[in-house]
Amino acid sequence: MPQIITEQNLRNLIDLLVKEAKLVVGPKLSGSVVLYEPLAAGSDLTLDALPRRSSKELFFPICEDILSYKRENGAMKVTDVDRSKFPETVLIGAPPCDAGSPAILDAVMSWDYNDEFYLERRRKSTIVGIACTKGDDACFCRAVGLAPDAEGGSDLFLTPLKDGSYACKAVTDKGQALVAAHQNLFADGAGTEPVPFVDQAVEKLDLVKIKKWLEEHFEDPLWEKIADICVGCGACAFICPACHCFDINDEGSTDDGVRRKHWDACGFAKFTNHASGHNPRDVQNKRYRNRIMHKFKYYDDKFGKTLCTGCGRCIRACPVGIDIAEILETINGKED
Amino acid sequence: MNAKASKTHVTCIEPAYYEAITEAIRKEAVQILKDETVVGVVGYLPGRRKGTASPALVTTAEEAGKLIFSPACVNNLSVYLTKAKKGVLKKGKVGIVAKGCDMRALAGLITESQLQREELFIIGVVCPGVYGFGAERTGTLTEANIARKCRECSVHLPDGADVAAGTHTELADLTPEEAEEMARIEAMPQAERWAFWKEHFSRCIRCMACRQVCPFCYCEQCLCDKNRPQAVESSPRPAGNMAWHLVRAMHLAGRCGGCAECERVCPMDIPLNLLNRRMAKELKELYDFEAGLNPVEKGPLNQYKEDDDQSFIK
Repeated sequence: MPQIITEQNLRNLIDLLVKEAKLVVGPKLSGSVVLYEPLAAGSDLTLDALPRRSSKELFFPICEDILSYKRENGAMKVTDVDRSKFPETVLIGAPPCDAGSPAILDAVMSWDYNDEFYLERRRKSTIVGIACTKGDDACFCRAVGLAPDAEGGSDLFLTPLKDGSYACKAVTDKGQALVAAHQNLFADGAGTEPVPFVDQAVEKLDLVKIKKWLEEHFEDPLWEKIADICVGCGACAFICPACHCFDINDEGSTDDGVRRKHWDACGFAKFTNHASGHNPRDVQNKRYRNRIMHKFKYYDDKFGKTLCTGCGRCIRACPVGIDIAEILETINGKED
Repeated sequence: MNAKASKTHVTCIEPAYYEAITEAIRKEAVQILKDETVVGVVGYLPGRRKGTASPALVTTAEEAGKLIFSPACVNNLSVYLTKAKKGVLKKGKVGIVAKGCDMRALAGLITESQLQREELFIIGVVCPGVYGFGAERTGTLTEANIARKCRECSVHLPDGADVAAGTHTELADLTPEEAEEMARIEAMPQAERWAFWKEHFSRCIRCMACRQVCPFCYCEQCLCDKNRPQAVESSPRPAGNMAWHLVRAMHLAGRCGGCAECERVCPMDIPLNLLNRRMAKELKELYDFEAGLNPVEKGPLNQYKEDDDQSFIK
C-alpha cells in the first residue's frame, strides 16, 4: 500500500526521533552554507540546497580518534575507542547522490580489513533518502547509473509531491521498521503528482567504454592537457561522497596523545610520497589521473562498482574549473 | 591603448565589453606565440558549463585563438608562474593574462625574486569586475553578481602591463561590503570576535585550496605539512584549523596583494580575505606600505631599519 507523509509530519518525525535519543542528521543551514548536521528539531531541516559536503561524513567522519595513549608509571597505556557508544542514527533528506554512496563504500570498508568504525556506524544508521528535484548544470547522476529517483542506498525513500507532501517507500527492513514505529505520521494513499525532475546536461556515458580506454591509456597526453592546471588541493576529494582515502596521525606528545584518522586526498603532493622522498606520482597530472582511474577503473576492477555518484560537487568547487563530467565525455567520445 | 583617458560609470557591463577584451587578448597571444616572443601563454578558456572559464596554458597560435575573457575569468593566473607549479610551463619567456589584482601578485613575486619582469609578457586587462562565487552567470555583470573584492577595486587598470585590453569602465554605486564587514568585526568585543572566527574555522576541512591557489604560498615545505615533528596539527580540528589560518595570515602580511582567491575557493565559505585585509591595514599603518603596487627591492618585513617602530614590543 503506498503511503504519504506531509512536510509537517516529516518535521514531527524528526522531533520524535530526537526525543527517542537518536542522532538525527540532515541538511541544515550552518552560517552561509548548508551542511549535514545534527538536527535539534524538525524545523532545522532545510531541503532547498544540496549540502556543500556529502553525507559520507556520517559514517566516515572528517576526523576521528581511533585510540589514545598515555604513559603511566613508566608503562604506555593504550585505550581503544568504545564503538558501542556510537549513537543510533537517522540520516534524513539525502538525495540519491548522497544516500547511494554508503552502498558503494561498504565494499571497500569490509574488504581485506573490516573498518569497524565505519561499519558500526553503518549498522546503527537508517537512511531516509529523498528524490532530487533540484539539480544544476554540474549534476550528472544519470550518467553514472544513478537517477534523481534512485532508491539504492536508502532504507526509506521519499518522493516530493506537488502538494508539498512526500510519497514514501520502505526500501529495506530498516525503513519498514522506521515507518512501523511512527505509523500515525504516515497516511495511506498515492498522493498528488510528483514534482518533476530537472534535465541533466551530461546524461549518458558508456562506463564500460570509458573503463576500457583508461585500461589502455595510463600514459596519454590527455592527462597533461586536462590536469596540468590542477593546483593540488583536496577540495574535490573532501566534498566527494565516494572518495574515502584517509591519513593517520599521532597528535599530542610522546607521553600523552591521540591517534587520529582524517580525510586525505590524492591531489596533495604528499599523497603516496615515500619516506625516501620518492613519489611515484611526482607531478600533479599523475595525481589527477589517479582520481579518474580510481573512480572509473580500479574500483570497478575490485568491486564491480563506479566510485562516483554524479553529484557534481567537485565540478562546482574546483578552484580551477576542472570538470569531471566534461573529461568523461571527452574519453567517451574517443575513437581509440 | 588609452585606457586612462576616460572612465565610464555604468549600471551593468554587457557581454560586448568582455568580447572586445577577448578579441584583443587573442590578437596579442597569437602574435607573441607566432613571433616566438614567448614559449606559452597563461590565459582562460571557456568551460563546458555556460558562463564558466578555466585557466589554460596554451602553446600554439591555434589554441591562443580560443582564449577568452569574461566575468567568469576569476582566477589569479600568476599562481602558475610560481615554483609551486614548476615544470608545468616550458622554460623561457611566458605570456600571461592579468587583471589589475593579478598584477599586484606579479609585482609581489618580482619583489620576492620569484619572477623576473623581462621573463614575462603581460597582457593586461582593464577589468570592470568578475562574478562572485555562486552568483548568477548571466554573461552580464551587475551589482547583483559582482565579486565582493571587486566592489572596492582600486586597480582596474593593469599598470605596468606590456599591453592593456579594454577601456576603463566601472559599475556605479557599489557598496563596500567587505569594508563594512571589517568594521563590524573590528567593533566587536574581543570575545565575540574570537567566537566569530572560531565558528568559521570549525567548518574548515583542511582541503588546502586556500594555500594551493595562493601565489604567495610557494614554500616548498609548508610548515603545516611538517610531520617530523608536527608543527601544526594536520587533522581538521578546531585547534589546528585556527593555527593554520593564523599562521598563513601572518606569513602573508606585507605580501598578500588582495586577490582574495583564498576566499573565493574556500568550499566552506570562510571569509579569509578579511584576515589578509586586516594584516594589510596593519602594514599600511606601521610602514605606510601596500604590497604589490609596484615591485620593490624588499618588503618592510624582510628588512630591519633602526628607526622601525618598536612600540609593539612590550
